[in-house]
Amino acid sequence: MASVIQIILNGLVLGGVFLIVAIGLNIIYGLNRVMNLAHGSLYALGAYFGYTLVTGKVLLFGLDFEFGGLNFFLALILAPALVGLVGWVLERVLIEPMRDRPMIYTLILTYGLMFLIDGLIKANWGDTPHYIIPPEFLQKPVYIGDFSYPAYRFALLVGVAVVMGLLMTLLNRTRMGINMRAAADIPEMVSALGVNLKAVRVGAFVLGCVMAGIAGFLVGPLYPILPIMGHDMLISSFVVIVIGGLGSLRGVIVAALLVGFVQALAEAVITNFAMVIVYMLMAVILVFKPYGILGEGKFE
Amino acid sequence: MKKYLVLALTVVLALSLAMPMAALAKKPVKIGVLVPLTGIVAQGGQEMVMGIKMAAAVKKTILGRPIQLVVEDTRVKPAVAVSKAKKLVYKDGVVALIGVFSSGVGLALAKNMDQLKVPFLSTHVMTTKFYGLNPLVFRCGQLANDQTAVGNVQGILATPDLKKRKYYVLVHDYSWGHDAAQRFIKLAKANGITVVNPDFDRAPIKTTDWSTYLTKIKASGADGIYIALITNVIPHFAKQATDFGLMKTCRLVSGAAPGPLELEEGGSATYGIFGASDYAWDLQRFNPKAKKWNAAFWKMFKTIPSDAAAHSYVGAMNLFNAIEKAGSTDAKKVAAALRGISFDGPYGVVRISAKDNCMRNAAVLTETMAAPANPYGAKVYMKVIKIFPAKVLGPPE
Repeated sequence: MASVIQIILNGLVLGGVFLIVAIGLNIIYGLNRVMNLAHGSLYALGAYFGYTLVTGKVLLFGLDFEFGGLNFFLALILAPALVGLVGWVLERVLIEPMRDRPMIYTLILTYGLMFLIDGLIKANWGDTPHYIIPPEFLQKPVYIGDFSYPAYRFALLVGVAVVMGLLMTLLNRTRMGINMRAAADIPEMVSALGVNLKAVRVGAFVLGCVMAGIAGFLVGPLYPILPIMGHDMLISSFVVIVIGGLGSLRGVIVAALLVGFVQALAEAVITNFAMVIVYMLMAVILVFKPYGILGEGKFE
Repeated sequence: MKKYLVLALTVVLALSLAMPMAALAKKPVKIGVLVPLTGIVAQGGQEMVMGIKMAAAVKKTILGRPIQLVVEDTRVKPAVAVSKAKKLVYKDGVVALIGVFSSGVGLALAKNMDQLKVPFLSTHVMTTKFYGLNPLVFRCGQLANDQTAVGNVQGILATPDLKKRKYYVLVHDYSWGHDAAQRFIKLAKANGITVVNPDFDRAPIKTTDWSTYLTKIKASGADGIYIALITNVIPHFAKQATDFGLMKTCRLVSGAAPGPLELEEGGSATYGIFGASDYAWDLQRFNPKAKKWNAAFWKMFKTIPSDAAAHSYVGAMNLFNAIEKAGSTDAKKVAAALRGISFDGPYGVVRISAKDNCMRNAAVLTETMAAPANPYGAKVYMKVIKIFPAKVLGPPE
């Protein structure tokens, strides 16, 4: 029984991380029609910014200095904000000039950006894996009778729920969010109503990058922080998006949890073929539900 | 006048003949270094390069010619490594290949040695398939899987806290991991050590989330874990095992030595990893050569001396000395010189067996714990708790 509960929790943790990364990617695509292949690298950047802020060890291509380090929770807000800032610069300088061109241009551009960001990370932080050290009370396992589970993983689940709650509030209850959702469906109409479509698109791009940064920070205490950590996450996010339906937020939520569970369960039962099962699931969905598991996808 | 003209022409002719000879005399001896510089083992690859660079700096020249290292990134992919090796041999003109992290990569390269026609000395391939594999293929570095298994089983038997435990075997899913698991399980069974999963568990190399495996280990009832995971991954696994509360009840025995920088990042969560390997910087308590080497390494690179660097240093010294001994860069002559050669370095005498082209040397059993004050600033270290003579580890010759 304890093993079953652990597998369920493992699936939830995995699915929660996939969800935040994939939903960011989906928001960017939904508003900008940009398939951001550098999204995984922005996720890695979130982890590295988090590591720098928490440890206080600032590496700036040789101009290194140290400060006392920030509180973990403050860093959790600042690191994604910094990723958002990077996203804003990328959008203004590189993505915006490409907006009227076919999607293949931004696809190639962001593919190149992925390698550029990874290279810069490697040049600055090196290859040594790092961890973000969480507060003391999150470093120990939680014991419930014979059952134990890491406290930080419970905290991560709470973090994912809070982030999703805030995101849904933003999208459903604020003018900016409502404009975003409307612009994703009928941009011309939104523009005709006097809404600054450019600002909405920039906002969506930055929001997507912030989501990648949050996910990167949250996994920092769990997995080793490495320059290439975003590559696998990018692939997993695509799997989630394909299953959930490109541009469908509800679909992505369902798909992320489904992929997390399938992967955790498959790893527990047939280790070697866990990812094969996940890709088979994606193939089946593509064949029988090409618009995603809820049929809400917007493929173009 | 005519006499002077003849004399001048003779001088010019002599100079023109002598110049290529002088140029040839100073032409560097090129050595191809194949290491992983990207991916999860990139740190290990960089440490290998450090060890080989240090050997080149110590050796200075071979056959009176400077040493030039040409470094290529294998990305731990067999196909990439083979193509880089071809580039090194055919384009750069290297006279020997050294390095290589993974058994899969090493075996792929070994298949191509008859085409490449240069000696290949691996410093990190641990598979037992390397014994006598090819006249041009050598191992001089990290202990082979059979040697590690002997060291670990002997270590388990000699340590009361490890002896009575039931072991769950988890390895990385490729040739080295499988070989390491099979060697350990066979030897463990023969020595009465209980293994709860004789078919052993295999994790993909890219695994970063070990939660599912930790869940399985808990469910198995094991109170010992035998891992054969890539060196740089070991501390990550140990950290997650600690997060799950598993290290409170379980002991971890490793088929490879954990990377020192990764141990530092993992901190106290990585305490309690046992394992046989041939080097740990704590060897300086027993061997003055280790102390001297550690100090020189620290002076040169300002980083904690690692086993990856030490293996690579020793392997490179044996290779450089073999070329010198051969008196030529001819592949067959260098290979012949490598057979039986030995070097007394940071972890004692390392001899390449003339029988099977693989090294024999002493090894240590270590346990990771909080480091005492040390010149390298290390907070976690591999404490040497037992030293095995080379004869004990074998294999017999």
